[in-house]
Amino acid sequence: MNPYSTLMENPVDPANIKDFIYPAPQLGVDEAYDSEGRIRPHWRYLLHSLQSLGHDAIEERQKKTRRILRDDGATYKIYDEPDANQSWQLNPIPLLINSDEWNQIETSLVERAELFNLLLQDIYGERKLVRQGIIPPDLLFSHHGFLRPCQNIKLQGSHQLILHGADLVRAPDGSMQVMADRTQAPSGAGYALENRTVMNRVFPSLFRDSHVHRLSLFFSRLRQRLHELNPNGGIARIVVLTPGIYNEAYFEHAYLANYLGFQLVQGSDLSVRNGYVWMKALDGLKRVDVILRRVDDIYCDPVELKGDSRLGVPGLLEVARLGHVAIANPLGSSVLENPALLRYLPEISQALLGRDLQMPSVKTWWCGNSDDLEYVCKNLKHLLIKPTYRRPGLYEVYGADLDDKKLQAWQNRIRKNPLQFVAQEYVVGAQTPTWHQGLIQPRASVLRTFAVASESSYSVMPGGLTRVNLDVDKKIISNQRGSVSKDTWVLASEPEKQISLRPLDTQPAAESSNALPSRVVENLFWMGRYAERAESAMRLLRTVFIQLNKTEKLPDAVCRTLLSAITHVTATYPGFTSLHTALLKNPEPEMISIILDQQRLGSVANNLMAMVHSAEQVKEQLSSDTQRVINDIGDELEQLKIALEPDALSAPEEALAPLITTLLAFAGLIHESMTRGSGWHFMEMGRRLERALQIVNTLRSLLVTSFDEVEQETLIESSLLCGEALIPYRRRYQNGIRIDQGLEMIMLNSKNPRSLIYQLTQLEHHFADLPDNRDEFSTEHKLLLEATTALKLSDIKTLAKTANGIRGELDQLLSRLQYLIGTAAKAIGQRYFDHAEGPQLLVKNSEWQDHL
Amino acid sequence: MKYRIIHSTRYRYALSVSNCYNLAYVLPRYTEKQRIDSIEVKVSPLATTRNMRTDYFGNQFLQFSIEKDHTELDVSITSEITIKDTAININLDFGNPCTYVKYLLKHSKDWETLCAREFMLDSPMVQQHPDLAEYAAASFPDDRPFLSAVMELTQRIFTDFIYDPEFSDVATPLADVLKYKRGVCQDFAHFAIGCLRSLGYPARYVSGYLETLPAPGQEKLIGADATHAWFAVYSPGEGWYEFDPTNNKITGEQHITTAWGRDYSDVAPLKGVIFGGGHSPQLFVSVDVRRIEDDFIPTQSQSQSQN
Repeated sequence: MNPYSTLMENPVDPANIKDFIYPAPQLGVDEAYDSEGRIRPHWRYLLHSLQSLGHDAIEERQKKTRRILRDDGATYKIYDEPDANQSWQLNPIPLLINSDEWNQIETSLVERAELFNLLLQDIYGERKLVRQGIIPPDLLFSHHGFLRPCQNIKLQGSHQLILHGADLVRAPDGSMQVMADRTQAPSGAGYALENRTVMNRVFPSLFRDSHVHRLSLFFSRLRQRLHELNPNGGIARIVVLTPGIYNEAYFEHAYLANYLGFQLVQGSDLSVRNGYVWMKALDGLKRVDVILRRVDDIYCDPVELKGDSRLGVPGLLEVARLGHVAIANPLGSSVLENPALLRYLPEISQALLGRDLQMPSVKTWWCGNSDDLEYVCKNLKHLLIKPTYRRPGLYEVYGADLDDKKLQAWQNRIRKNPLQFVAQEYVVGAQTPTWHQGLIQPRASVLRTFAVASESSYSVMPGGLTRVNLDVDKKIISNQRGSVSKDTWVLASEPEKQISLRPLDTQPAAESSNALPSRVVENLFWMGRYAERAESAMRLLRTVFIQLNKTEKLPDAVCRTLLSAITHVTATYPGFTSLHTALLKNPEPEMISIILDQQRLGSVANNLMAMVHSAEQVKEQLSSDTQRVINDIGDELEQLKIALEPDALSAPEEALAPLITTLLAFAGLIHESMTRGSGWHFMEMGRRLERALQIVNTLRSLLVTSFDEVEQETLIESSLLCGEALIPYRRRYQNGIRIDQGLEMIMLNSKNPRSLIYQLTQLEHHFADLPDNRDEFSTEHKLLLEATTALKLSDIKTLAKTANGIRGELDQLLSRLQYLIGTAAKAIGQRYFDHAEGPQLLVKNSEWQDHL
Repeated sequence: MKYRIIHSTRYRYALSVSNCYNLAYVLPRYTEKQRIDSIEVKVSPLATTRNMRTDYFGNQFLQFSIEKDHTELDVSITSEITIKDTAININLDFGNPCTYVKYLLKHSKDWETLCAREFMLDSPMVQQHPDLAEYAAASFPDDRPFLSAVMELTQRIFTDFIYDPEFSDVATPLADVLKYKRGVCQDFAHFAIGCLRSLGYPARYVSGYLETLPAPGQEKLIGADATHAWFAVYSPGEGWYEFDPTNNKITGEQHITTAWGRDYSDVAPLKGVIFGGGHSPQLFVSVDVRRIEDDFIPTQSQSQSQN
């Protein structure tokens, strides 16, 4: 039965709902209750539906929400708490806004974006507002976001400000007010989209029947506008410039890049050549026409802006000046984030628009004005203190949270540097129904909205990113302080028509979107290598555990050979190659350290973490299923730590199985769901090269020294076990385990996907498919050819031959192969990956650069 | 007076540089008393991109990039300029007194004064400090003509401080300059600017050249000159006036202006980013300022190294 029609037939009993949520508040505004304590009409359907679901079911949906976000890899880093849970937090109860109110909000936000656009043009142009005495000169000149080198740089088209974000809060009288503007690189739109996607999945019918305005139109307008900004003609190559994986919102950067179909790049992926910006791709430089910037403007160009920045592109500003690249938002736009501007906004609006703004800003005082300064110092206890320029570590403070001593300290700080601070009236914000500890509770909320320049004006995302504090004692709502987010539902009065986006998207997709930055390809290559390296190590460790735990005790020499193989294969020297007999008597602690010790180079955990790290770097290239498997690897590793506790140790080989399975799932996903572009080739090449090297290493460690027949059998069996070839071997050879047959199976059997020859053959295919393959074979190709030939020409009988307790021929061949394959891997790195040294400043001015 | 100025800057790198992106503030600037007759720019190796630009402060600067391997960079500017004979003997004792200057700075709404307020604020290399205000205060009694007070400050810096190229580099903090009373022209200019801003007056940094005359009977050597720096103050209604604390004077015909800004960081002669190059590049700068009327006698070029 359709729940919406049920509702229509059975009008909700509001009293009933009140019991289900919380009683109407005595004080303050509430999103769900009107001033008379009645449930607002647009909330009734949602609350009724939640009530019919019941508490347990809502809690279940909350859990599902967490799971989906985690699987999507949705993270948000809190800088002050590096160890905190970094998952993006979404509360299952959305904020609802009815269409009448939204129409007003939308009009006001368009107006505000228009105003800020004109303001930006004036600041980097004629500065009429300063000239006319509307903006105090000190307000502008003392702001660190006022970037003088950006004077007179213009984007083409009617708007300079492409994206505008605003934080809205509901004042006690019920009206919306703007608390802050975001113009640098407004973040949150991607999180809002992710929230919507998750809500859609968790509450499919509730969502469908609520007639919620869709977000997708906003993003296609953004895409369209970025294409229109292309200064170079033709089909634009658009990139999203991210500071990288250590940025708090990296997830969003990758998510947006994928959703919009743009390449995600870091500063080092770009280079300025001949007055244009280029992306360093595998097969050469690709011109970049438009940059959607998520790096703070001051970090974007060490030549003209912050000299010690490693996140930017040297020379970028000059390219913007030449008009050869469009950057959105333009460099210098952080000047608009100065909250002191709010103090003068009514006059600015009169001067630039000729009218008052429809939506006021929260009352703000700027300490650079002497009257304001006195007022602020007197009333600090009731005000929100904000720096005029946001930077990490300098956050806003609420006076009421400070004791007298701290208040005095703040007063001194402000008086010493009055230009750098504003104070704002503290607006609690409206309470909104929020899921917390199994109940619906009222929590104050702030709404981040987004507008994008579109046609001749702006278009506003219908919705946005709502944030609440679950902890009622926390007064300031900010993601950096652990606030949680909510989806924002703008309810249409009637079911929204499906708008086809085709007419807007006139631009065809960029032609060679398969051109990846070489950094991405390098990370994929190493992901393949690390995954394989961890897997080989685990297979060997598992085999050795099995052999050691056999009922009959192994002879010492065999034992030593097996254990030394672990050290050789994982390169965790000296380990078992040292002559400590104690280690051989009680090998488990060392083996467990080789598995779990993340700090130890070569350990399984170390390789897995390196793999996860590489995955993070190429997040946008991985499917959500792959993302989930990568998450699982982290979890399995944690599980393994518990399973391998010394006291609880039993059947350790069993404990490794889930992790190996997860790695196989990873390999399977790559094989089944990754498009066969250069990224896939390189990941596979990494895997094949590594596996070949590990086979060679294992064989060299286990089979070069010759033993008595029985002992030999254990070692051959171990080699076969490592390569999952024992059962096929037994099927094929019914005459017991023999060295020549074992070598044939592991090295030359082309049907065995874990044989050495199989890896080399696969590599051959990949090499053939690489870009820019000239008639002459490349270095790595020649090396591979030599390795393959040497292997094919070898004679098993000769290899098996023993002299002086050693298989000399085998050792020679393996050592040659090790060299050839290892050198081929290096040659690939040399040829395809970026080896440019990082930039350095021509003149190093250590001290004052920090102040710029 | 007509001058020909040859300013060359050479970097020698330990390792090859694959590409570089630079800004150079080495071109003379148009001012009320200074006219540019010709400018010739040579960049070696040949620059890939090269543009003359006007910056926020109205200075001309050179943007260039070199996008091929090189181990040496040579930027050489030859310019000819004419400096107007301005009355050097301005009578400093008739002018607005300090209190009135402060009053005007606060209340005047004319564009020039509003703009000048930018030079009252802290800048990357010059921060206000009570010690600086304390040092300068004695020269700025309320009723004293402002420009005469600035001249006295200039003179005191000249007397109290020792010119010592060994002591400082561009990043020497003002507190050290005050403590040891040593420095070079940049330091003295920054110090004076810091004093003036700490007292609430606008002051800016001016970079340029100073013609040096050889001792009687001796021949002037090419490259014996150097880049120079001084400062300017603003008095509402009266305009900007330039003072040279290194030489204890109001600037005159021998001061050739290249650029001005809030401090050195706005107008550093050459800055940029290089890829590669290894450690500790060697820098050679030579400046030659010569009256054009003089006979040009080529002599052995000398350079000063500023590692």
